[in-house]
Amino acid sequence: MASMALLGTRHRASCKAMSTHILTVEDDERIRSAVKLALEDEGWTVEEAATGEDAIEAFRRHPAEVVLIDIMLPGIDGFEVCRSIRKTSDVPIVMVTARADTHDIVAGLEAGADDYLTKPFQPKELSARIRALLRRIKPTPSGHSKLLFDDLEIIPEEGKVLRDGEELHLTKTEFRLLVELGQNPGRVFSREALLDKVWGYGYFGDGRLVDVHVRRLRTKVEHDAANPRHVVTVRGLGYRLQ
Amino acid sequence: MSDVDDVPPVDVTAQLPVVMLRPVRLSWRRRLSRLWIRLRPQKPALRRRIFLTFSLGSFALSAFLAAATYSFAQNSLLRQRDHSAIDQAYRNARALQGDLASQPTASQITNRLHNFGVTQAVVEVQGQWIAVLTFGRAEIPTALQTRVLHDLVASRMVVSIHGEPQILVGIPLPEQNAAYFEFSSLAEVQSTLSGVGRSLLAAAIVTTGIGMLLGALASRRAVRPLAEAAQAAKAIAGGRLDTRLEPTDDPDLRLLAISFNDMAAALQARVERDARFASDVSHELRSPLMTLSASAEVLSSRREELPDEKSRAALDLLVGDVTRFQGLVEDLLEISRFDAGAIRLNREDLVLAEFVRQAVAVSSVPDATIRVSDRGEALVIAGDKRRLARVVANLLDNARFYGSGEISIDVSEVAGETDPLGHAWIAVEDHGAGVPMEERSLVFERFARGGSAGRRSLSEGAGLGLALVDEDVRMHGGRVWVEDRRDGESGARFVIELPAEEVGV
Repeated sequence: MASMALLGTRHRASCKAMSTHILTVEDDERIRSAVKLALEDEGWTVEEAATGEDAIEAFRRHPAEVVLIDIMLPGIDGFEVCRSIRKTSDVPIVMVTARADTHDIVAGLEAGADDYLTKPFQPKELSARIRALLRRIKPTPSGHSKLLFDDLEIIPEEGKVLRDGEELHLTKTEFRLLVELGQNPGRVFSREALLDKVWGYGYFGDGRLVDVHVRRLRTKVEHDAANPRHVVTVRGLGYRLQ
Repeated sequence: MSDVDDVPPVDVTAQLPVVMLRPVRLSWRRRLSRLWIRLRPQKPALRRRIFLTFSLGSFALSAFLAAATYSFAQNSLLRQRDHSAIDQAYRNARALQGDLASQPTASQITNRLHNFGVTQAVVEVQGQWIAVLTFGRAEIPTALQTRVLHDLVASRMVVSIHGEPQILVGIPLPEQNAAYFEFSSLAEVQSTLSGVGRSLLAAAIVTTGIGMLLGALASRRAVRPLAEAAQAAKAIAGGRLDTRLEPTDDPDLRLLAISFNDMAAALQARVERDARFASDVSHELRSPLMTLSASAEVLSSRREELPDEKSRAALDLLVGDVTRFQGLVEDLLEISRFDAGAIRLNREDLVLAEFVRQAVAVSSVPDATIRVSDRGEALVIAGDKRRLARVVANLLDNARFYGSGEISIDVSEVAGETDPLGHAWIAVEDHGAGVPMEERSLVFERFARGGSAGRRSLSEGAGLGLALVDEDVRMHGGRVWVEDRRDGESGARFVIELPAEEVGV
């Protein structure tokens, strides 16, 4: 955890230098302004969009490094915006939902979101989430630049995954999940461990983040997602890559 | 029994009585009256009345049918036996009359009668009594002797010899100055009758039993709609507001069902409207709160840049209360979700001790003492960890607000009694004033605030915290209560009991 926090700060510093570009999609003008103030306070550049249509257009014009989407939007909703952005980009997306226990969260994650927050959230929480999503992948401890799993080839340094020599398009979070699993081949990772390593959550992180991401990862990495050969569920324990 | 009848009368049998039936009828009456006495003072419940009506009805009917059948069987059997006895006696007497002309000896007479197939008979010839087998003059009542020998009238009567009923037919043979008496046993008839009686009794008992069974079924059936209505009302009172009665075709019950359902629908609409109002208000409050908390945070990060101490104090107040407000709105939203029945648990298996340690670590009292019993270490619960973490946090908050000194949290299996289902206890103890007996169930009500003497006046007390604890624990199939500290010191002990499993060590 300590080294990760360190990484986070270092990264934050570098973010400040490059001024990470964040797109927030929120129809309530006052919330938008307040969130913008808070995020700018972190040293990030914030671009606002009031509707889903505006957001898609803004992203097309100038791709952000993180997108924050409120699900409840007039016109096309947050899920749709999320899916639309995902078609062309692996950008980290944070969903803002009304409640924590509904179908919304799983639906948002399946639409391609990397993480979520429930309203009303503390801006501190939001920036912590964003920082976690922007974290760079740690270099492989083994020093190998390539991880090979049968037909699957992971090149952490280049952020590339090849299947049968063909490059797969993973989101940043999916890639990090895959690398975490791949750096310890065969080892079983609990949901808590993955939540910690990939999302920076503690014990009380939402396990559904892991489950939905694993599901999404399988549809890309596996030949048959229903019978995964690489990302395997170990009942009651977690997941492993083989 | 000893009346003597002239022969052709056929209705004699009426005197051979209903002996078999009598005891039954007697006890039937006695039982009925006893039953009546027992039941009379109270007004029997509807179910009981239906049951009794069926039982008594079937009992009366089967008893009546059994009695009638028995008496019919008895009549016809006896009449038949009577006729054949008289016929046979006449036939034998006639044959004997012919023989007597040749002045036979006694043994000749008995032989002759043996040949006729007679078993028990007595012949009187000129004052001499000849017994064919064992029965002699002594067995013939004097009334019959007089009637036959003196009045010269053929007669029959029923006599009982050694406890066995016999039809005794006496026929005067005046030409030979003789008389012929023939016995024919009714033992066979009697055993047939008692057989019939027994089977009728059995049939009556079975029929009554079936009647009682039908009565029980019918009464249950009859009150089932009432029981259903009562159940439904209970369910509604218990919070399942969408409970309705099944529509029915029965015109009597339809009205009940319709008005009940209308009432339930009206109640539901009202409760939902109230709940929606609370939920809408909270939803509406969330947007300004978002803005408030984000702005307050921006200000907060610039706290040191503020010109003076007053501004900083004002900012601290603002930030503190925005946080409190946010917590309150979240709690309100949560409770309205419970009211709307919209809560779904996101359950997973949690190692209880580990969970509690984690939950305490993120609570407002991260340094609370955690004690885990030996078996407590092996307990696993199926719970929504974020909800249960809030439960633990709320109990610790409560202990912090109302108690003083050390706060401790115990994790253990349910102590004492055997607990086949498996439950775990999480108990939070403080060193406050404790909760007086009369407030113990009230503290879990919404916006209940401990106001008793000796308690800190609270500025941060949530008001909904314990109500949410109660809701969450109940969602998990458990319960929560407050009691005195176990060690006898002053303070409250809040106990959560949750279904748990002990996993092999």
